[in-house]
Amino acid sequence: MKQIELDTLEILKSEARLSTKDIAERIGTSTNEVVSILKKLEKNKTILRYITVIDQTKLPKGKGSIRALIEVSIRPEKKRGFDGIARRLCQYPNVIDLYLISGNFDFLLIVEGNSLEEIAQFVSQKLASIENVRSTGTHFILKKYKENGIVINQEPQEKRLAVSL
Amino acid sequence: MKTPGFSSLIDSIPPSGIRRFFDLVLNSPDVISLGVGEPDFQTPWPIREEALYWLETQRVTYTSNRGLDSCRNSIANYMLDRFKAVYNPDTEILLTMGVSEAVDITLRTILNPGDEVILPEPTYVCYDPLIRLAGGKVVSVDTSSTSFIPEAKDIKKKITAKTKAIILCTPSNPTGMVIPQKQLEELVDLALKHNLWIISDEIYAELTYDTPFVSLGSIKRAKPITILMNGFSKAFAMTGWRLGFICAPEGLLSRALKIHQYSALCAPTLTQYAAIEALKQRKAVETMRKSYEQRRSYFVNNLNALGLPTLMPQGAFYCFPNVGALGFKSDDFAMQLLEKAKVAVVPGHVFGQGGEGFVRCCYATDFDLLKEAIKRIGLFLKS
Repeated sequence: MKQIELDTLEILKSEARLSTKDIAERIGTSTNEVVSILKKLEKNKTILRYITVIDQTKLPKGKGSIRALIEVSIRPEKKRGFDGIARRLCQYPNVIDLYLISGNFDFLLIVEGNSLEEIAQFVSQKLASIENVRSTGTHFILKKYKENGIVINQEPQEKRLAVSL
Repeated sequence: MKTPGFSSLIDSIPPSGIRRFFDLVLNSPDVISLGVGEPDFQTPWPIREEALYWLETQRVTYTSNRGLDSCRNSIANYMLDRFKAVYNPDTEILLTMGVSEAVDITLRTILNPGDEVILPEPTYVCYDPLIRLAGGKVVSVDTSSTSFIPEAKDIKKKITAKTKAIILCTPSNPTGMVIPQKQLEELVDLALKHNLWIISDEIYAELTYDTPFVSLGSIKRAKPITILMNGFSKAFAMTGWRLGFICAPEGLLSRALKIHQYSALCAPTLTQYAAIEALKQRKAVETMRKSYEQRRSYFVNNLNALGLPTLMPQGAFYCFPNVGALGFKSDDFAMQLLEKAKVAVVPGHVFGQGGEGFVRCCYATDFDLLKEAIKRIGLFLKS
């Protein structure tokens, strides 16, 4: 991968809504060059999606979502190991992230729902009822301090002197 | 009421002429300030964490006057790895409260009353008064006709029997220019020939862009006359921590130490511990440097596109647009830009000879604000 592509990704990681013109100005190239870089990185699936990180506590009551971390212990399948069951779990829209992990459990899921009940229902009726799922452990997220590298409700930093030599 | 009076030397130093303008900026809401002289980054967390650790767990006491052995060792290694400059941490490195103290005690160490110091200008504002306070005489050299690079041929004309030293600030505050190796070597030869000290303030050495930085400390034959200064404020975003250092021959440092031990005792202890960690943070420094570089190119290219001639700076985080080319005096431009466009810059004459007709802009400012500043400057120039 070229340096200019890495520079583009570095900018997009924190400012995905920046226009191609703005990106071009920052990395010192033409807008056309940035357009073609983005096309290439999107096409080869280096860039998967541009997402928005929302502070759920700012949404009206009942409109925000809640999340839980769920540890899942799996009985691996013959030949397919963990992959078959993982593919199946990916199908549920409630599952935001799914990782195979080392340690006492096999999968770590981040699950999202509109309410405690919705997540509880997903665990008991969907997840735990899958044949190869041996056990689950659900941890509801009570408060978010940092998500996707962004500190939530960060205290404003002291300003610099407006002029100094 | 009549006071018992003051030093006539201190009274011979004029009060800062820029204060009134600064007060105006500080009292104007909605101003985009390009008048800042420090990074817009927070000190990287591992450095702050190191200071917290020492604060929580250790007695924070005085250190030796020179500074912690461990900190001086780290600096010696850093100067070698990063700038090919060889210094003995035990005898040739002294930690100070920022480069400002380093300049002060160095001048007081080398100057006798009436000694002359050659000062290529425009340059940072502390050297001129500190030379005077040390009993020396300032001999300015206007570098505006040589793209703000001091040239040996121009310095040579100012050398007299009284000349004691030349002060260089590279990369330069306020111009962002960096003295290229060839010119630096010529200055070294000139200084060696006339037996002059070269004081090299290299506080922005980490922040260079198109070409690698050549430190005076890397030129071996210059070592007996080199007084190199650097510190942590700029590249490590540690302005308020107050730590700088002098690398110089033992004879100079042992004398400078006499002033430092009585007037400062030691550099801030917590900062010394944090600095050891700072020197390990290569990646954080490079991330910040790169960010300045992106903003430099954007800002300077756009100033030129607006018809405001501006040399592309090679280092630091300043540029020095030529407002004189559009018929402005520095002060008028800065004042009108503040009043009509709500953008603050620093008038160039503050930085000495050759600064009139220019303004200093600091591009270590949020990209969106730089964009807005360009828009406002563009509208101002059209009006």
